[in-house]
Amino acid sequence: MTVEIPDPADLTVVDTDVAVVGSGGAGLMCVLHVKDAAPELDVTVVSKGAVGRSGCTRMVQGGYNAVLDPADSVDLHLRDTLEGGKFLNDQELAHTLVTDAPKVIHELETRVGCFFDRGPDGRIHQKAFAGQQFDRTVHRGDLTGIEIMGRLRDQMFRVLPSELEDVRALDLVLDADGELTGLTALDVRTGKALLIRARVVVVATGGSATMYRIAAPAREKTGDGVAMCWRAGLPLRDMEMLQFHPTGLLADQARMTGAVLEEGLRGAGAYLFNAVGERYMARYDAERMERSTRDVVSRAGYTEIMAGRGTSAGGVLIDISHLGKAEVERLFPGMVERTRQIGQDLATGPVEVSPTAHFHMGGVLIDRDCRTELAGLLVAGEDSGGTHGANRLGGNGVAESTVFGARAGDTAVAEVVGRALREPDRAQVAASLARTYAPLSRTSGETPFPLTAELKDAMWLGCGVVRDGAGLRDCLGKIGELTARLEHVAVPGPAQVNYGWQEALDLANQLAVARAVVVSALHREESRGAHYRSDFPEQDDAQWSQYVVLRGNAEVETHQVQHTRLSPEEVS
Amino acid sequence: MPANALTVVVHRSDPEAQHSFRVTRTEPMMVLDLLLAIQREHDAAIGFKYSCRVAMCGTCTVRLDGRSVLACQTPVPPERDTVRIDPAAGLPVVRDLVVDTAPFWREWAKVTPYLVPRDDLTEPAVIAPDAEERQLIDPGLDCIGCGACFSSCAVAAGSRDFLGPAALNRAMVLVADSRDAAGAQRLAAAGGAGGVDRCHYVYGCSAVCPKGLDPAGAIRQLRAWRLRPGSADDR
Ligand SMILES: Cc1cc2nc3c(=O)[nH]c(=O)nc-3n(C[C@H](O)[C@H](O)[C@H](O)COP(=O)(O)OP(=O)(O)OC[C@H]3O[C@@H](n4cnc5c(N)ncnc54)[C@H](O)[C@@H]3O)c2cc1C
Ligand code: SF4
Ligand code: FES
Repeated sequence: MTVEIPDPADLTVVDTDVAVVGSGGAGLMCVLHVKDAAPELDVTVVSKGAVGRSGCTRMVQGGYNAVLDPADSVDLHLRDTLEGGKFLNDQELAHTLVTDAPKVIHELETRVGCFFDRGPDGRIHQKAFAGQQFDRTVHRGDLTGIEIMGRLRDQMFRVLPSELEDVRALDLVLDADGELTGLTALDVRTGKALLIRARVVVVATGGSATMYRIAAPAREKTGDGVAMCWRAGLPLRDMEMLQFHPTGLLADQARMTGAVLEEGLRGAGAYLFNAVGERYMARYDAERMERSTRDVVSRAGYTEIMAGRGTSAGGVLIDISHLGKAEVERLFPGMVERTRQIGQDLATGPVEVSPTAHFHMGGVLIDRDCRTELAGLLVAGEDSGGTHGANRLGGNGVAESTVFGARAGDTAVAEVVGRALREPDRAQVAASLARTYAPLSRTSGETPFPLTAELKDAMWLGCGVVRDGAGLRDCLGKIGELTARLEHVAVPGPAQVNYGWQEALDLANQLAVARAVVVSALHREESRGAHYRSDFPEQDDAQWSQYVVLRGNAEVETHQVQHTRLSPEEVS
Repeated sequence: MPANALTVVVHRSDPEAQHSFRVTRTEPMMVLDLLLAIQREHDAAIGFKYSCRVAMCGTCTVRLDGRSVLACQTPVPPERDTVRIDPAAGLPVVRDLVVDTAPFWREWAKVTPYLVPRDDLTEPAVIAPDAEERQLIDPGLDCIGCGACFSSCAVAAGSRDFLGPAALNRAMVLVADSRDAAGAQRLAAAGGAGGVDRCHYVYGCSAVCPKGLDPAGAIRQLRAWRLRPGSADDR
């Protein structure tokens, strides 16, 4: 049962003013801002998974950093963000994040309908999160993402965009003059391709981080947006900066492996032990111990495991049971439930964890209004790079997606003016479709599943928590081999609701992003934040106050970081 | 059959497609892991859906031996050597285990599910965590729209004119919210033709909710407000 590659002339064409790709925090905030500012505009949400119920904003546990307390300040939040990011951040993006976050929390509370936890005085409660000098994390229990995405999804019933649910974006398409015309997409339910012509396209697919053996994100997040932009020739920055969360669950072969136990546990006083019972953080950061930043705690755990002081399943132990069963259940109901699912119990004893691939700091180069080099194309949320530098603080991720999602919406309203719908270049559309339908049209070949598994292993070992030149080069070789094998992958039909086929398409994007990560990681011959090279273990500020930019298949570029708001010298 | 093997019978849309599979048990193993094993080892094109795998997205709802569950959170029953997996009930099947959730969301939309902020709501409201309204609201939040309640309710899944447990729960939460100005409108919807009177109090919804919500309790609360007109406005 093979499927023919459709003719570009036969595609269903959807015309819209603003196409928003992705329906996480960035995507839906963008829709809301466009529709509230300009209800007359036609907005189309293109979402690979369920609208508002896919992606990672949903999965946010810990919460949202925003300055609300008069004793706190945006300058302090900026300083924490830049110090956390090891001064690799685009400081204008970081500044925008911390300045807009309080406004967006206000909007979420008073307009969108979220309700965040209150302190005894009835005002919004803010809790401690690692790496910050002030307790500024807004939350709703440990299920903050459900509240934010649930309410944003509800807003969609008010502003009524067109929703293309279970439709995956494939490629950006330009016209003969190189102007953006829209994108190709695939309706996963019907297996039919679509051509979406849009005056403005907003890419908000939530980055990647799924191409590791142990990984936290939702299934859709296979780097599609970043890969699409890269194929369209846009520059990517900081791709080597991939954050590992220190405490991912280990559940053997179960899909639950890699799911995050939230950082708040360490904030609330959890201990980390190795298999021989040592509170090993004393060796890595005696002052901050478990409350140290993610990069330090992840590397410590990884080092313990690699040094043979891990558990038999290859993990370390997190223990918060000294707070008492009732208190742990009260503070972290979601996390307790999660561990009980797999036969462990956070409320009464230690739980096995490992670092887990979590968040991609790298992504598409944008300015503070989410504009890119390509007119009419905006990028927001985890798909963009620069805001977090070399390491993201817990609580700055959902802030980023909602702050920049909102800004992308505002920018889109301005950008639509004067941009007409354009006719895409046929050859580009045809190439996108050929690439997409190829696995389904082949009659024999391996399935994509073993290839995905091999990529995840290669990235875990060669480009993981600790890297070196030789391992990175091996990994790059493996990526080359897998990219070649992907050309021969075959997936049995039908075209409708075929996640085997989707896996092949995911893998193409994961491979493109993985290559960019490895190439950048090879280039950065120092250690900084999430990027640790055992062959260059020091942070080298003299040489490496630079960010790495990749553009198509061209040479790797580096650019000096501009310390426009704060220099490292001012804080040391 | 080896002790650690399991027969899984899956609803398939194509009557010709393989529907019975032998899967090796691993530990821990959720229903989702069974489906992933079938996808990897037997039929790459088997249709099922999931996203978060941690009970947050509500997209993996199936029926395990007739009961509506989240595939990602439900351990494969240890004592069984055969299990049956069917799509959620009461929603049109797209393919295999994937359903079209549009009818569920159509009902949800009817209760004006978004906050209609009161004019004076310009700052985050000052509300004590133990305020009376929070006692009603907090246990009713965290709905993930999984539709398990809808699927297990004979009235909602059977007909097309009942708002259903999740939508009514959402209505209750908003009516109780002192920040909201559309309580009367929502009470009218909840009290109307497709509203609370269609509920037969079988409590199936509250029994299956994977997030521990009590939609049947919400329906009772809405009825109580209707019987004491005006009471909701004080909230
Ligand atoms: C387990 C976990 C816990 C986290 N906890 C926190 C926390 O406590 N605090 C914090 O600040 N941050 C946290 N983060 C990070 C945070 O979730 C992200 O920074 C942020 O939510 C990303 O938002 P987004 O809108 O960019 O993408 P997402 O919310 O991930 O949404 C991506 C969207 O894109 C869609 N999509 C993907 N590919 C395509 C395609 N090809 N076509 C169409 N649509 C597509 C998906 O379906 C989805 O709708 C956490 C992340 C994880 C994984
Ligand atoms: S009320 Fe419970 S069962 Fe019903 S949709 Fe919400 S989470 Fe699912
Ligand atoms: S996969 Fe998200 S709830 Fe099961």
